[in-house]
Amino acid sequence: MDAIHTYSFLFHFCLVAALAFPLLSFVLSFYISEKYSWITSVLASFLLLLGTLASAVVLYQAWNHPPFAYRLEWFSLAGYSFSAGVYINNISALMLFIVTGVSFLVHLYSVGYMAGDAGIQRYFAMLGFFTFAMQGIVVSGNLLMTFVFWELVGFSSYMLIGHWHEIPAAAEASKRAFIINRVGDAGFLVGLMIVWAHGHSFDIAALQHMPVDPTWMTLASLGIFCGIVGKSAQFPLFTWLPDAMVGPTPVSALIHAATMVAAGVFLLARVHFLFTVPALHIVAVVGCITALLGAVSALAQHDIKKILAYSTLSQLGLMVVALGAGSPQAALLHLFTHAFFKACLFLAAGAVIHSLHQAQHQSHVHFDVQDIRNLGGLEKKLPFTFLIFVISGSALAGLPLTSGFLSKDAILTALVQWHGEGFSWKLLILAAVALVSFLTVVYTFRMIWKIFKGSETATAQLHISEPPAVMRAPMAVLAGVSLWIWFSWNPFNFYGWMYTNIGEAKPFHSGMVSIASAIWVILALGVAYVTRQVTVGSPLLLNAFYFDRLLKQFVEKPILQLAALTHHADKKWIDGFLHATAYAQLIVAHLTGWFDRAIVDGLVDGVAGAAKGLGSFTRSFQGGKIQLYIFWATFAIIIFIIWTLL
Amino acid sequence: MQQYLLSLLLFTPLLAALLSLFLPATSTATFRIITVVVNVLQVMFLLVLLLNYQAGAGLQFVELKPWITLNMGNWGILKASYFVGVDGLSLPLVALAVFILFIATIASWKITQNVKGYFILLLILNAAIIGSFTALDFLLFYLFFEFMLLPMFFLIALWGGPKREYASIKFFLYTLLGSILILIVMIALYVSVHDPSTSGQLVHSFNLLHMADASNFISTSVLDPHRALQLGPFSARTWAFLLLFFGFAIKLPMVPVHTWLPDAHVEAPTPISVILAALLLKIGGYGLARIAFPIFPDAAFHLGWFVGLMGVISIIYGGLNAMASKDLKRLIAYSSVSHMGFVLLGLASFTAEGTAGAVYQMFSHGLISAMLFVLAGVLADRTNDRTISHYSGLAGKMPTYTAFILVAFFASLGLPGFSGFIAEIMVFLGAFKSAGLGGPLHESLAIVATLGLVIGAAYYLWTLQRMFFGPLNVKGDFSVDQLSDLNRREYFILLPLALAILFFGIFPQPLMSVIDPYAQHFAAFVLETGKNLTLTP
Amino acid sequence: MNVPVHHFLYLGAFLFSVGLVVVISKRNTILVLLGLELMLNASNLNLVAFNRLHPGNLQGQMFAIFVIVVAVCEAAVGLAIVLRIYREYQTSVPDDVNELNL
Repeated sequence: MDAIHTYSFLFHFCLVAALAFPLLSFVLSFYISEKYSWITSVLASFLLLLGTLASAVVLYQAWNHPPFAYRLEWFSLAGYSFSAGVYINNISALMLFIVTGVSFLVHLYSVGYMAGDAGIQRYFAMLGFFTFAMQGIVVSGNLLMTFVFWELVGFSSYMLIGHWHEIPAAAEASKRAFIINRVGDAGFLVGLMIVWAHGHSFDIAALQHMPVDPTWMTLASLGIFCGIVGKSAQFPLFTWLPDAMVGPTPVSALIHAATMVAAGVFLLARVHFLFTVPALHIVAVVGCITALLGAVSALAQHDIKKILAYSTLSQLGLMVVALGAGSPQAALLHLFTHAFFKACLFLAAGAVIHSLHQAQHQSHVHFDVQDIRNLGGLEKKLPFTFLIFVISGSALAGLPLTSGFLSKDAILTALVQWHGEGFSWKLLILAAVALVSFLTVVYTFRMIWKIFKGSETATAQLHISEPPAVMRAPMAVLAGVSLWIWFSWNPFNFYGWMYTNIGEAKPFHSGMVSIASAIWVILALGVAYVTRQVTVGSPLLLNAFYFDRLLKQFVEKPILQLAALTHHADKKWIDGFLHATAYAQLIVAHLTGWFDRAIVDGLVDGVAGAAKGLGSFTRSFQGGKIQLYIFWATFAIIIFIIWTLL
Repeated sequence: MQQYLLSLLLFTPLLAALLSLFLPATSTATFRIITVVVNVLQVMFLLVLLLNYQAGAGLQFVELKPWITLNMGNWGILKASYFVGVDGLSLPLVALAVFILFIATIASWKITQNVKGYFILLLILNAAIIGSFTALDFLLFYLFFEFMLLPMFFLIALWGGPKREYASIKFFLYTLLGSILILIVMIALYVSVHDPSTSGQLVHSFNLLHMADASNFISTSVLDPHRALQLGPFSARTWAFLLLFFGFAIKLPMVPVHTWLPDAHVEAPTPISVILAALLLKIGGYGLARIAFPIFPDAAFHLGWFVGLMGVISIIYGGLNAMASKDLKRLIAYSSVSHMGFVLLGLASFTAEGTAGAVYQMFSHGLISAMLFVLAGVLADRTNDRTISHYSGLAGKMPTYTAFILVAFFASLGLPGFSGFIAEIMVFLGAFKSAGLGGPLHESLAIVATLGLVIGAAYYLWTLQRMFFGPLNVKGDFSVDQLSDLNRREYFILLPLALAILFFGIFPQPLMSVIDPYAQHFAAFVLETGKNLTLTP
Repeated sequence: MNVPVHHFLYLGAFLFSVGLVVVISKRNTILVLLGLELMLNASNLNLVAFNRLHPGNLQGQMFAIFVIVVAVCEAAVGLAIVLRIYREYQTSVPDDVNELNL
């Protein structure tokens, strides 16, 4: 790695450009007058295209070259430098390209999907910013910078999920998403604090040589993992993801595929070296729980987008399991393939929703178009969308010849290798993952069947047409890259150009796993066909084990009660204490006032009165009556004489 | 001119106030113009100051003139000086003060009742604030510190809301209590410290720099660090530190001596709320960093855990209270309590990061809280109603206003890209690192404090959801038509604030380079002296 | 005839007492002056009586004559004042002249 590779000017330029174009799109949208708001959508898509091209150049130039590292001092304090570092290796270059590319396609799709929306400028502005923030996480070579963009991703997702802010559910969901992410971020921050206290650097490259006590290391990695749990919607902080479905569908596509949830897995892969063995075990268990929970809940959902959302949960869980099992490559491979097919699925779902909405609009019939119980037999009316749905759905299910098969294979292989010989709890995780992959097939194809096969019910009277070309094109592209060919020449061997170049490839591959997995999936497909009419009516699963309600009951409510208590404490206890002291003072003041009047003044008055009495008594001797004087004088003399005589 | 810059900054408003006294009360426009002229002049002086300031060169623009010299015979000589100067701690705050006071003047444009009195009080307040931030003589500082109290009291009591009497008296009594605590320590210090530059007769000095040097304490005096006089459970120095700490903590404000703040804010007119939150609270933090910690590093070191704990309690308690607030201004006031907790936590960490974070937080909170209170004032101007539950869906009706609210709320909850983030993360890093360096804070304090971030997000976003999102709907004694979007004046008050918050969030280096040398020196000094003095019997 | 001295002294004391009572109890100034005369003469009587105990010594008689002269003057001035007061206040009762009294 020591080979010095000088990167060309073109590389630098394109790297800056790749990030600058989405940001430019964000800034420019403020300057376009509302009358010409449609310009925003076209301009933003164009800028993102440029960004994609630039990131392609970056990928081409950086691929299989020594990593590009650049450190720019952000600010310095006490001799330590807080830098804004850029670190580009194969993984981040590829991720940058995928993020920008998928984002471009989503932009393009949104031109059609969001046409006529009142907040279109805000929408495209935030979409650009979202992309920029995610790119920031990808290229950052510095944990602090990662954290900065991490939070910005949270902010832009808040704005986008709550795009239709007049709808109370959207406002609620966006708030939840941000707060739950914040909970995770608080943990991330603790991780950052530990890293800083022990290494005085946030530089990811420098952290690899950081000598740290293993306990702190475990805590730091778990702290960072908290952030990942929040952002990648892992157990127990996953509830925001299904709720976030109230946002516009292209946004869901972006959140689920390339930005936001991908950020967590990406970061986990990037700082994988920080994780100690106990921490990794926790990671694997959390991932496994999430994968199972997502898959089982997806079975019971009726809403297209909810099904996809829970499927994302379970796929993310799989990635996290792979990371916990010590195979970042497998996780990343799945992240990349998932980015395409999940974006594709969401766009296809969006196409269904969009077409039905348009049709509803013309005929004034109203029903919930996202509820698959209302749908059926759309194959004839939406053949293109059907095709896209089947391809991307197969990829999600992990059918052979798709990208999903390869990456899932990689994960299974990694787990087989990880669990080693003999029986241990790790075998349970492997079994759980196998179960998840089985369930994935079942719910995916059940959904496709419900939407496109069978007979039409509510939609029979509607005149439904395919979405415009500007929406079809991105779907076609994404469906195309959901095939195996882009990741490995051999559809049954994930050891393609990508897998071998995104980490130190471990020379372990068992053809058995591929074959077993293929058979397993086909079996699942059969089960899916057999049970296509069965609806899982469990309210427990429909609500994902009531986890959001649990959170509400045991986290939200106590906090609100605590808040009310502090408010009460402020009003009643602290202010009450103050008022009590004030009243006590008043009472004391009255008491002293009485004391003043009665005792002090009384004393003074008493003395004065005594003096007065004495005065008037003596005064009575000097009444100005001369004869009285004489009488007294005589009297005195007599007394005097008597006194001397006695 | 340079050597008199601070005096110019300080006396221009006083002279203007004097001038205004002699003008007839009827020419209301004149008073506004005079105040604006003063502000413009101050901005110019400040620019000269900033251009000539050398980061890392310690105290600068120092003016030292004899002020009071009294021969007290056997008791020595009382000496107080006109001693002002700026360093990495005070420069950001002076700059903030000049900026915010300008904003406050513009925001005061709509004051119609007794304009003359209002602007004269504003000018006096102006001078007192700048004076407090620049004074380096305890007596001078105390003078300015007290000087702030009266104009503030009248500005709330005369131009305030319906419960203004209660609020202003509460404010007055609270801060007066704080002043008394400080006064006690000032007298004790005056008795204990001598001026080392003079020989022969004993000279008692109020110079803060002399007080911060342990060798200047008269041996066997009350506060002599080498004597360690015990008074009850603590030493005399610990008592003195505690008195100063609570004196300044009232101003900060810290839980549980914070309840004057929500009332004062709710009742004060908008510009006064802005000054109160943005500048007056900072004097608490400034006093701790300038006076309490350097003069009593040993006691501060001993009680650092307590200071940090109170900081964390303030962060969380203030946040929870904000969550339960029903009035927008009260919510913002409690969020101030929560944010000023970071100042305590940062200072108590005894690290350069924590100290820099605390100073940065004071600066940043000055900008953010000013913006928040202006925004709350905008709504109150329209409808005279700040009850959160009376509004819903304002985003559609007042888009520009909502945009500024978003900026202010997210800046306040510490989103990266805004100045609050830099401050808070520095405080966190410093507070966590403290234990490893032998500082007084345990790691768990910083970890618990991160809860504050979550609570901050919760109450701000909840407010956004309740007031700005959802369908447009209002309750209360006003109609939807009164809810017009920002006018030009409001827009141009808010824009510079928003830009400044953004600038210092994205480019922290200019401000950090000013704070950095101070923070390093402060942390090293307090930690070293604190430890050494503690070891000496 | 040898009358013992103490008989004169009894008479003098009686007269003096009568004079004193008159001075103290009478409201009219004229009568008060009369009382005074009585007291002076009582003392004269005493002086003369005591002089009898020291034959050849004339101081007693001399004092008595001196007292008589002073008494005359005093009576003259006193009566003049009384007249003046009577003319000013139309009264000869001293208690009614109370301009200095509060």
